[in-house]
Amino acid sequence: MDLNWMMAVAILLPLVSGILVFIIRQYHIRGLIVIITAIALIINSILLLLHGPDTYTPASHYWGLAITILDYAMLLFYIYAGLSLKNWLVFIFALTQIVPLAYWEFGMGASKALEEIKPAFIFDHLSIVMVLVISIVGSLITIFAIRYMYDHEHHKEIEKSRQSRFLFWLVMFLGAMNGLVMANNLLWLYFFWEVTTLCCFELIAHDLTREAINNGARALWMNSIGGTAMILAMIYLFVKGGGTAEMITLESIIKAGGNQAMLLLPVALMCFTGFIKAAQFPFQTWLLGAMVAPTPVSALLHSSTMVKAGVYLVLRLAPAFAGSYLGIMVAICGAFTFFAASILAIAQTTGKRVLAYSTIANLGLIIACAGINSPLAIAAAILLIIFHAISKCLMFLCAGTIEHLVWSREIEDMEGLAEKFPVTTFITAIGVLSMFLPPFGMLLGKWLALESVFAVPLAAILFVIASFVIASAATMVFWAKWLGRLLQVLPRLGRKFECLSLSYSVPLWLLVVGVFVVGVGVAPVYQKFVSFAVNNVVAATEAFAAGWNIVVPSASAAAGGTGALIGSFPVWPLYIVFGVAIVLPLLFVTVKPGELRPVYMCGEQVGGVDTDEWITTADQKAKLQLGGFYWQDATGEGAVNPWFYTVSIALLVILFAVVLGVILS
Amino acid sequence: MNQWWIAVIAIIVAPVIGGLLAGIDRKITARLQGRYGPPIIQPFYDFFKLLGKSRIATSRMQFVWIYGYLVFMITCVVFLVLKLDLLLLIFLLGFAGISFVLGGFSSKSPYSHFGANRELMQILAYEPVLLLMALGVYAQNGSFMISEIVKPGAAPLLPTLWPIFIAVLLVLTIKLRKSPFDLSTSHHGHQELVKGIMTEYSGPYYALITLTEWYEIVLVLGLVALFWANPLWLGIIIALAAFILELLIDNIAARMTVGWMVKFTWAVGLVLCVLNIAYLYLIKGVS
Repeated sequence: MDLNWMMAVAILLPLVSGILVFIIRQYHIRGLIVIITAIALIINSILLLLHGPDTYTPASHYWGLAITILDYAMLLFYIYAGLSLKNWLVFIFALTQIVPLAYWEFGMGASKALEEIKPAFIFDHLSIVMVLVISIVGSLITIFAIRYMYDHEHHKEIEKSRQSRFLFWLVMFLGAMNGLVMANNLLWLYFFWEVTTLCCFELIAHDLTREAINNGARALWMNSIGGTAMILAMIYLFVKGGGTAEMITLESIIKAGGNQAMLLLPVALMCFTGFIKAAQFPFQTWLLGAMVAPTPVSALLHSSTMVKAGVYLVLRLAPAFAGSYLGIMVAICGAFTFFAASILAIAQTTGKRVLAYSTIANLGLIIACAGINSPLAIAAAILLIIFHAISKCLMFLCAGTIEHLVWSREIEDMEGLAEKFPVTTFITAIGVLSMFLPPFGMLLGKWLALESVFAVPLAAILFVIASFVIASAATMVFWAKWLGRLLQVLPRLGRKFECLSLSYSVPLWLLVVGVFVVGVGVAPVYQKFVSFAVNNVVAATEAFAAGWNIVVPSASAAAGGTGALIGSFPVWPLYIVFGVAIVLPLLFVTVKPGELRPVYMCGEQVGGVDTDEWITTADQKAKLQLGGFYWQDATGEGAVNPWFYTVSIALLVILFAVVLGVILS
Repeated sequence: MNQWWIAVIAIIVAPVIGGLLAGIDRKITARLQGRYGPPIIQPFYDFFKLLGKSRIATSRMQFVWIYGYLVFMITCVVFLVLKLDLLLLIFLLGFAGISFVLGGFSSKSPYSHFGANRELMQILAYEPVLLLMALGVYAQNGSFMISEIVKPGAAPLLPTLWPIFIAVLLVLTIKLRKSPFDLSTSHHGHQELVKGIMTEYSGPYYALITLTEWYEIVLVLGLVALFWANPLWLGIIIALAAFILELLIDNIAARMTVGWMVKFTWAVGLVLCVLNIAYLYLIKGVS
């Protein structure tokens, strides 16, 4: 297919479908449009993969003009939003964007040069990986949303349906993300960046409750700080580039590599932008607040879009901070977020908050990998992006399904879900296990990351490894704790399989299949696909895959010698172990009714086998109640957040101090 | 020798060794407490008797997870004898531990619920130390492969990694469920009468747990033995000495609280490991 068409489908089709969905207010036709768009996006992303890397500049220069106009329209809307919500932070950070941008484009006369930057889009293998993740995982979420929003509004008994509006922003989001990961022109990158911020704001505030609007506004102003940093970076590049737009492309920044000290400040600013979008400490609150939105929004923000834009940008800029102190600081900041978010996740009582902290933690890990910046670390980062998108999407869709089954997000309300909804629990269990245990992809990524940490210098390494190992352990605790609550059942047999709507079950099962297919096939996927993306970031001579297994050769072996391995991950044997250990028993272990006994309660039960009543003091009957442990005194926000804020802000200050120190010296 | 045969032999021999060690444990503990104690092979009698008992269940999933616990533990032992990746072995050990925890969570029983939560805290306490052990081995050897530790001519780890060794001994106490860290459940009934996370298990499935624990003893002592892998018999002696030491500690210490365990293991274990890696880094000038 023509490249023009592919770009149009990737970026503009979601917008067009979004408008159609907005206009057509008929449930079935609307659903059909969403499904057709999803299929078109998926096919298109595969065509892009087959097409291979390329560059693209739209023929008409009106596109540049349109983007400029839309930029200001969005920023003016932010100002309006700030004023109408009386949220001065939104207002101020909209001003800090629009004033320098206008001064730069018109006062300094940059606008003409900016519109003529060629190529406007470059998509290399890294972009293609991102487009595939966005198009496939994101599309599944839009399908899930069709039915979810219907149920959502029926449950809340909303009279005037706002589903059309919701689907408009949701579908358009995918187009903006596709544009973002392919943009080369920084101003266009900035435009798509702002569109995602806008979509995010609209989607979080969708329910129009006070909390939703406040949290949407918080996401808006925090990401506006990031936008401001990006504008400052562009202006700096423009001025230092002698008033030309030569340096205002990702390509030129990356090509210059870490050689030019002058590039360090704009790169640091853009990493900072990425940190905010990836909800790194101390900016994690916007993503936590985002969970008030309907669950498809969270699924989209956490898995394939929005936060992935943040890590994408940092990863993209990795060549520009290779071997510098900035890179080390990026690794330390990421590692700290990984640590802090994992600890905080233990104390969360709400399912979606656990998921949110887990996302933040994994993004920290990916950013730390980008900072470590060795071929192994970059491979880990890209694999983590892929696996995290699949697994976290699955987890959020499960959380959404559970929410619509028990009408609660609290983990305590999910006790014994295995009995009431065995199918949903099974899928959730697969999702949970795939987040943190071998042989699944996320663990593979973490394993690669740990094997790569020794590429950073001493001072950083101690901090990074200590964070990594504690975070890994904390991850196991909070996932197992949650899954454990789902499994707690009374001794009873005869459970019925529940029936889920197709709009729920199709995306869920496809994602389960995705977890296993991509998981088992990780080595071929790596060789045929991810390794090229790694090479877009750092020159990798090593092949990290041998046959169907992942291996880490030593430097001498990679150079053609016969050195030993540094590490090896036998992929399919471990999946067989998983099958024997969990799947076979799940299928074949049966319990006969006669074998059931009541749980041990010191013989004080009342009634039959499956009773949960017992005799307590003064011969009173009482219901057995179990509660999960959350250790909020030790790991809750109140206990640890002051420390985490202090450290994370200090780390950011050090990051910029280091950069300024290099420039001034 | 063929790798398959090594794996098969390990799978058969490991529980025999583990069972004998469990018997020695009971004998020595009995003597320390002024009792005569059962014969060394008593654990095997117990095992076969348990296997023959009828099954009783409080939920189906509690059985499923026990298979996960057993199979992943066996996988870890296989990883050890085939000299594969140490870091991955530790992650696999994590899956075994989590399976056990989920088994404990699988019935709505207060005792196993508390036990499972404590077991999780034990994982939180020891997992970082074990991961740092693998990283320490890398700092020394430049490889995560166990084959690089045991290959002929490789320098023993203990002289340079002794702080990590001390930290691993702490882990050993937790893993063998010995006082002061026998929190989720304990042996010999000298701390509790209701058996924590294992409360809801009986008969053949309790036998499977026992079997898994035998594999686990062999595995963790094997990890200790890696600290002196050339010649390996010295490492095995060190591991056995460590085992006896754990029995002594078990009998002179009382159970501590969960919070204390996490704080203590992190404050002592993690700090020792990190300092050790820093020191290795400085003397070797890696990177």
